[in-house]
Amino acid sequence: MPIVVDLYTKRESWVHRADPRVKLIFVGASLVLLLVFKNLFIMLGALALMHLLHWSARMPVQKFWFIWKTLLPVGIMMTTLWVIFYPTGTPLLEIWIVKITALSIAQGLVLGLRIMSMAFAVFAWLYTTDQPSLVRSFVKLKMPFEWGLVLALALRYIPTFQGMYGIISDAQQARGLDYSETKGFKRARAMMPIFVAMVISSLRASDQLAKALESRAFGVRGVRRTTLRDIHFRPVDYAYTAILLGVIVVSLYLNIALDFGKHAIRLL
Amino acid sequence: MSKIVSVEGLHYAYPTIHPDEEKTWVLRGVDLEVEEREFLSIMGPTGVGKTTLCLALNGIVPQSVGGTIRGDVIVDGLNTKRTPVPDLAQRVGVIFQEPETQLFNMSVESEIAFGLESLGTPAEEIEERVEWALAAVGMSEFRHRSPFHLSGGQKQRTAIAAILAMRPKILVLDEPTASLDPIGKTEVFSVVRELRRQHGMTIIMVEFESERIAEFSDRVVVLRDGQVALEGTPVEIFKQVPLMHEIGLAVPQVSELADCLNQQHATDYVFTQLDEAYDTLTGPQGIAAKGSQQ
Amino acid sequence: MTGKTCLETRDLWFSYEDGPSALNGISINIEDNEFVAIIGQNGCGKTTMVKHFNGLLRPTKGQVLLYGEDIVGQPMGTLARTVGYVFQNPDHQIFNATTRAEIAFGPTNLGLSEAEVRERTDDALERFGLMPHADRQPAMLGFGLRRKVSIAAVYAMQTPVLILDEPTTGLDYKSTLELMELITDLHWQGRTIILITHDMRIVAEYAPRCLLICDGKILAHDDTRSVFKQRELLQSTHIEVPQISELGRRMVPHGMQNGILTVPEFCDAYSGLKTKS
Repeated sequence: MPIVVDLYTKRESWVHRADPRVKLIFVGASLVLLLVFKNLFIMLGALALMHLLHWSARMPVQKFWFIWKTLLPVGIMMTTLWVIFYPTGTPLLEIWIVKITALSIAQGLVLGLRIMSMAFAVFAWLYTTDQPSLVRSFVKLKMPFEWGLVLALALRYIPTFQGMYGIISDAQQARGLDYSETKGFKRARAMMPIFVAMVISSLRASDQLAKALESRAFGVRGVRRTTLRDIHFRPVDYAYTAILLGVIVVSLYLNIALDFGKHAIRLL
Repeated sequence: MSKIVSVEGLHYAYPTIHPDEEKTWVLRGVDLEVEEREFLSIMGPTGVGKTTLCLALNGIVPQSVGGTIRGDVIVDGLNTKRTPVPDLAQRVGVIFQEPETQLFNMSVESEIAFGLESLGTPAEEIEERVEWALAAVGMSEFRHRSPFHLSGGQKQRTAIAAILAMRPKILVLDEPTASLDPIGKTEVFSVVRELRRQHGMTIIMVEFESERIAEFSDRVVVLRDGQVALEGTPVEIFKQVPLMHEIGLAVPQVSELADCLNQQHATDYVFTQLDEAYDTLTGPQGIAAKGSQQ
Repeated sequence: MTGKTCLETRDLWFSYEDGPSALNGISINIEDNEFVAIIGQNGCGKTTMVKHFNGLLRPTKGQVLLYGEDIVGQPMGTLARTVGYVFQNPDHQIFNATTRAEIAFGPTNLGLSEAEVRERTDDALERFGLMPHADRQPAMLGFGLRRKVSIAAVYAMQTPVLILDEPTTGLDYKSTLELMELITDLHWQGRTIILITHDMRIVAEYAPRCLLICDGKILAHDDTRSVFKQRELLQSTHIEVPQISELGRRMVPHGMQNGILTVPEFCDAYSGLKTKS
């Protein structure tokens, strides 16, 4: 059964053991730093570090591959568009009206690499955090439990609905529904029998789910919800947080005060 | 033994979509009593209101679904029209037919813990009850599995464990094996048998499998046209073969056999279980009888 | 059965994407006008095999032939004219605003004239007792009726081969009998019926032939009585014969004939025994 959304990959590593909130801070820090810095070599360094991070989290090759496979087309597209539309500096090459310069290539690459590194940061978080801990971390950060439940249910049921789509599609095709010919809007219309049956099935499923939740005493008034597996900041998690904050501060200082890493090719 | 469930003159109609649409009464005056620790089976044709009755036992009908209700359902001393559903859920656990929509967590463990977490149970107690519930349904090694990697029978057993963990006094199972293959059915019925024997719970089970019903039940109730049509021990119910068939329900094949033989040989056999039939038919009353003629 | 081959598989192998092998070299012959029940635990390959018959799945290795022609060359739309498939859950099919429209969907897809579609729809509605519900929303009907609608909808396509995936699950005794009588009728009309089911009782009472699958291999394909006599085989696949068959088997040492399938059979055989003793 293809489970596309179960990103969590269970392994024994320091990354897995870290509190999910630390990993969330890491994602935030990565975002800030990757946006602030615009240098090609820094980006290459960042991407290398991300790979190192995933490796130390004992991620199997397929997981690396998955990120590359998914994001590479986006990265290439962004780089190419930048090079075509934002030439700066002396042109190396001119094709029709497009000027290609060394600087714009470097800048374009920065964009592409930035996307890749960002993806690796996010996946570092998602690959190493199981769903209950994920939801729990949001709740501890003051998100209402109901929102966390909705998120959890969505993650849980995506594969189910994928499966349902497959079955319904098969059933309708078995009745002669043929949508292989048409394209675009016509194809969407031809697939109506599948969509409508999916909506009806989903509504039925939601109704059943609601009853199941109620039968599990969901919605008890005046009682504080407890958790079997709570998450707690260990001393080492405080250390990670301190390090991350330290890195942010130092990097921002270097960048803003000393103009470090603002240029695509020159570091200073 | 005292009455733990009391259904008095229960009438119920689901809400209509259009305001002037005529109401269809699904339950039309159901009267039912269940003793503590009893195993009651409910049978009835498709659409007669069995699921509605199950939902009326934990208050989802009428509180969550709306509609029109007359009569009362008293469960463990509480009226299901007035007591909040989460409170009733602690006393009456309902297991539904479809495993997919009642396992909504990512692991067996979190599924079983969910109800207890909702009730604010302290973590150590949750841990104890999760272990106990897993053992009670034979799923201890599956503690960290995700629902996607469970067979139908395993899923339903997990659903049962999730309800058991809340330690309800009454367990209601609404066609728990309908969507399972033979192995799954056997697994679930074994669990039910164990719950009966070891934990002495009050169990109300809606089922079509007459042969299993004959094996487990203290009493059987047959619904027809929204009311109780027949009530009695499995023996009393299953010997009425033509009536059961007319209502649209199966009886154990050995009961059909008894009826068939009685008609042909003017005997008065009553069988509800295989061993009974075997012993009688191979014994002095059966073919071992000396000098029998027909 | 006419003796002509309807469906043939030649060393059929199938694996889902990055999955283990679901079918491991299946070679079977289903004859024209055969009525065969396919039994076996879930996950053993029943549905996987049967989905090859109407082209929903294509073999990883081996061949599937429908009336002598390889299915690989034929698009699903063409195969749907010959092989009708009723899925297990009626809610995976129903999407129209009226029952009539729902039933008309299949025939319309086959490109028939309006008059022909109307005729077939009326016929199906009558056959399945759905006329009173013709203009009602099928999604709002009770489960038993929805089940009938989904079967009627495929019936209206008038395919010579009909595959039904667990059509009696969730139905009460009376509805089950009604449905099985209807299916038997269709068989008598000349269609080839392939019935996937877990209900051994209806296999014993209605299906002349039976096919047992386990771990993607065919373990038996024979007349039902012969298959039910193979106790060790059935036990190894956790299939339980109907209660009456089990009783009959236990009484074989007492003179009961082997291979009892139904209650009336037992009754007659028993009466015979009794008069002898």
